[in-house]
Amino acid sequence: MGYEILDKKELAMNEVLYKVHAPHVARKVRPGQFVIIRAFPTGERIPLTPIKWDREEGWIELVTFVRGKTTMRMANELRPGDELLNVAGPLGNPAPMKKFGRILAIGLITGMVEVFPIAKAWQEFGNDVTTLHVTPEPMTILKEDFERSVSRHIVESYQLQPGWGMNEIAQELVRRAVAKVRELLEGEHWDLVFIVGPAGGEKAVFEVVKEYGIPMEADLHPIMVDGTGMCGSCRILYDGEVKFACIDGPGFDAYKVDWDQLIHRVGFYADMERRALEEYLKSLRGSE
Amino acid sequence: MARKKPKLIKERVPTIERPAEERVHDFKEVNLGYTFELAVKEAERCLQCPAEYAPCIKGCPVHIDIPGFISKLVEYRDNPDKAVKEALNVIWACNSLPATTGRVCPQEDQCEKNCVMGKVGDKVNIGKLERFVADYAREKGIDDELLFEIVPSIEKKGQSVAIIGAGPAGLTAAGELAKDGYDVTIYEALHEPGGVLMYGIPEFRLPKDIVEKEIDKLRKLGVKILTDHIVGKTVTIEELLQEYDAVFIGSGAGTPRLVRAPGVNLNGIYTANEFLTRVNLMKAYLFPQYDTPVKVGKKVVVIGAGNTAMDAARSARRFGAEVTIAYRRGEEDVSARVEEVAHAKEEGVKFVYFVNPAEFIGDENGNVKAVKFEKMRPLEERDARGKRKIEGTGEYVTLEADTVIIAIGKHPNRLIINTPGLEVDRRGKIVVDENLMTSIPGVFAGGDAIRGEATVILAMGDGRRAAKAIHEYLTKKREEKANA
Ligand SMILES: Cc1cc2nc3c(=O)[nH]c(=O)nc-3n(C[C@H](O)[C@H](O)[C@H](O)COP(=O)(O)OP(=O)(O)OC[C@H]3O[C@@H](n4cnc5c(N)ncnc54)[C@H](O)[C@@H]3O)c2cc1C
Ligand SMILES: Cc1cc2nc3c(=O)[nH]c(=O)nc-3n(C[C@H](O)[C@H](O)[C@H](O)COP(=O)(O)OP(=O)(O)OC[C@H]3O[C@@H](n4cnc5c(N)ncnc54)[C@H](O)[C@@H]3O)c2cc1C
Ligand code: SF4
Ligand code: SF4
Ligand code: FES
Repeated sequence: MGYEILDKKELAMNEVLYKVHAPHVARKVRPGQFVIIRAFPTGERIPLTPIKWDREEGWIELVTFVRGKTTMRMANELRPGDELLNVAGPLGNPAPMKKFGRILAIGLITGMVEVFPIAKAWQEFGNDVTTLHVTPEPMTILKEDFERSVSRHIVESYQLQPGWGMNEIAQELVRRAVAKVRELLEGEHWDLVFIVGPAGGEKAVFEVVKEYGIPMEADLHPIMVDGTGMCGSCRILYDGEVKFACIDGPGFDAYKVDWDQLIHRVGFYADMERRALEEYLKSLRGSE
Repeated sequence: MARKKPKLIKERVPTIERPAEERVHDFKEVNLGYTFELAVKEAERCLQCPAEYAPCIKGCPVHIDIPGFISKLVEYRDNPDKAVKEALNVIWACNSLPATTGRVCPQEDQCEKNCVMGKVGDKVNIGKLERFVADYAREKGIDDELLFEIVPSIEKKGQSVAIIGAGPAGLTAAGELAKDGYDVTIYEALHEPGGVLMYGIPEFRLPKDIVEKEIDKLRKLGVKILTDHIVGKTVTIEELLQEYDAVFIGSGAGTPRLVRAPGVNLNGIYTANEFLTRVNLMKAYLFPQYDTPVKVGKKVVVIGAGNTAMDAARSARRFGAEVTIAYRRGEEDVSARVEEVAHAKEEGVKFVYFVNPAEFIGDENGNVKAVKFEKMRPLEERDARGKRKIEGTGEYVTLEADTVIIAIGKHPNRLIINTPGLEVDRRGKIVVDENLMTSIPGVFAGGDAIRGEATVILAMGDGRRAAKAIHEYLTKKREEKANA
């Protein structure tokens, strides 16, 4: 029993959208929640965020940023008509639906897709939402969707330079994000800042927001296995206490997060992830 | 002079076990069990105590007619297929997962504890005989044959039951209710049914194809299994009650307990659940053919001394690590099955007693490098479970470790116990009455969800009892409807 892929398209470079038949999730999911999918019999369980859904028609849309073996293999091998083996969810807590006032919702690279359902819902709830997408140039996504759904959508993009590795890309991302956020905080009044992105980027932005003392929420992305509170892989240190991001989050008060620990934990398997990807790429070459 | 018995064989017929040096390099099963000939020899040792007296039956939580099934092996020794079929039929009357329980029950505390043979020699190896019957039946398709003899007689009741969790409690309840003629649907959070049998207990102790086969049997009985469905998220108990006539909660005790000590979130510190899930369910021991990674360092410290700790330690050994089990009490209070402890020792796992973790020490990259333990001392007094109380000495000892696995127990799953109206106790265990009904009418519960961490057979026993109670509850409902 799988979950049919109804549609698949490339939204931007390395950003792939999958429209998936998953009525049990579509019925229930709310902005801020995620699913855990498994795409291959030998594959990992990975968390992804539904960005749109139709409760009657029973589908959800997921967007992946192609970064490692699973997301690359999905991009290469899955076609409409194929199935995802598993789509479990919805998991995690919905984002709080309240009247905050003026909200700055920031997405770093693919984090932006996860901002979408939340920002849209906040706007519909009567908030005044500005969204900010910080991303390298060819990866601008969901621009029209945002422009239609929130008060103001800002894209802060930059050109990737030839020869840049992951480090340079990340550094530039942080530099851009920090500068743009500072500019926005300096000139305007905000009641809440919200962010989704890589932990390092989230932390850097938080350092700026902290200077202004504005309340800030962050969606955290520690490594998950089950997503139901069973394994503890996703644990973070929050206000001095251990929390499980999958059942206590994924949204948290940025002021209480132990950011350095999160950054360490997210990187724990980096060498093995690289190896899995390399072996996969090698196998592709072998099969040609 | 003692009366001479013609056949009093004092020593157990040994089972075949793979040598430790060989098995620590793979995840294949350690104990290979009996052949038919050996099983018959072991069966002949049983004194056939009368059923109303037999202490083995009393010791088994589900009261299998042990002399009854053992005698079939001897009686039909010339026709192995028939012998096994008859024996299986006896076992199935009380236990639908004998291949599993024969392997994982703590027999030394249950059926084998008071076996009469123990007075003169070794106790009868009931667990391995049970396992043999189940294995032989499965390999020869005898279990399916027997199942098909039962299935046609099922009379459909036109009522339906939702089961939450596909662990031994839920699977057993589902099987019994399906045999009673109810439409049964299991809601399972993970992508594979089986519960701890699938994600916790390692392949070398309980091969996963055995669990899969047991689950296939349920499907043949018409049980529907919905994986990827998390009750409390995908669907709530209230919603289930609108769709089904009754609900059974068998969601286990899945939330790991963590050591309350600084540094517990350092990289390289796993809960046993995470470690074993990565290794068993996700097959991280086959990385990179399988995508899920796990990191096992050179020096592994496992904290705790239950079955979970043994499984984690022995799994870590199979990655080539030097493994130490650190336990805050003494050897006498180790709660794991005797066989597991023996196997762990044979495989080179070291044990350190009377140490309690005080702090995890990390390096500059946030990776664990050592554990600081407080040395403990035993007191004369014992606690409610009969374990010796301990106290800290104020002295410390540090063990180097680049991987730490915490195996100090688990709490019931939080997503379920947050259900409005569902009464739970201080520890999150679901409160049930003598019929295993919870505070919500029509909702029953059993297994680790009501007991905290217990055993497979107790969970199965609850599943069976709950199925009976649900049957009675639904029969009443049917009658009320007919009279209305
Ligand atoms: C709540 C949540 C929601 C997410 N939503 C999205 C989304 O909508 N779109 C998207 O592209 N990504 C999302 N992610 C991240 C996504 O899970 C990773 O992109 C994916 O796991 C990468 O797998 P890979 O094999 O391609 O890469 P890998 O090479 O395996 O990993 C690359 C990086 O991805 C992260 N990662 C790897 N495995 C996991 C895991 N099991 N759990 C969490 N992170 C992991 C790690 O930071 C890792 O360094 C989300 C993560 C979380 C926790
Ligand atoms: C590593 C390990 C080794 C063990 N070794 C032994 C042994 O040798 N002998 C022995 O007798 N016992 C052993 N035990 C204990 C034994 O496994 C448990 O007592 C038994 O599995 C409990 O059965 P259960 O059906 O109550 O729960 P579980 O086996 O825990 O199954 C519960 C199921 O419910 C699912 N679930 C949880 N929450 C939800 C939800 N919200 N929605 C849907 N599904 C949900 C879970 O995913 C799981 O599949 C061991 C336990 C562990 C962890
Ligand atoms: S179910 Fe367990 S306790 Fe009962 S007879 Fe079998 S092995 Fe012994
Ligand atoms: S107590 Fe031992 S000898 Fe007696 S019936 Fe049971 S297994 Fe046989
Ligand atoms: S992912 Fe396993 S507890 Fe959160």
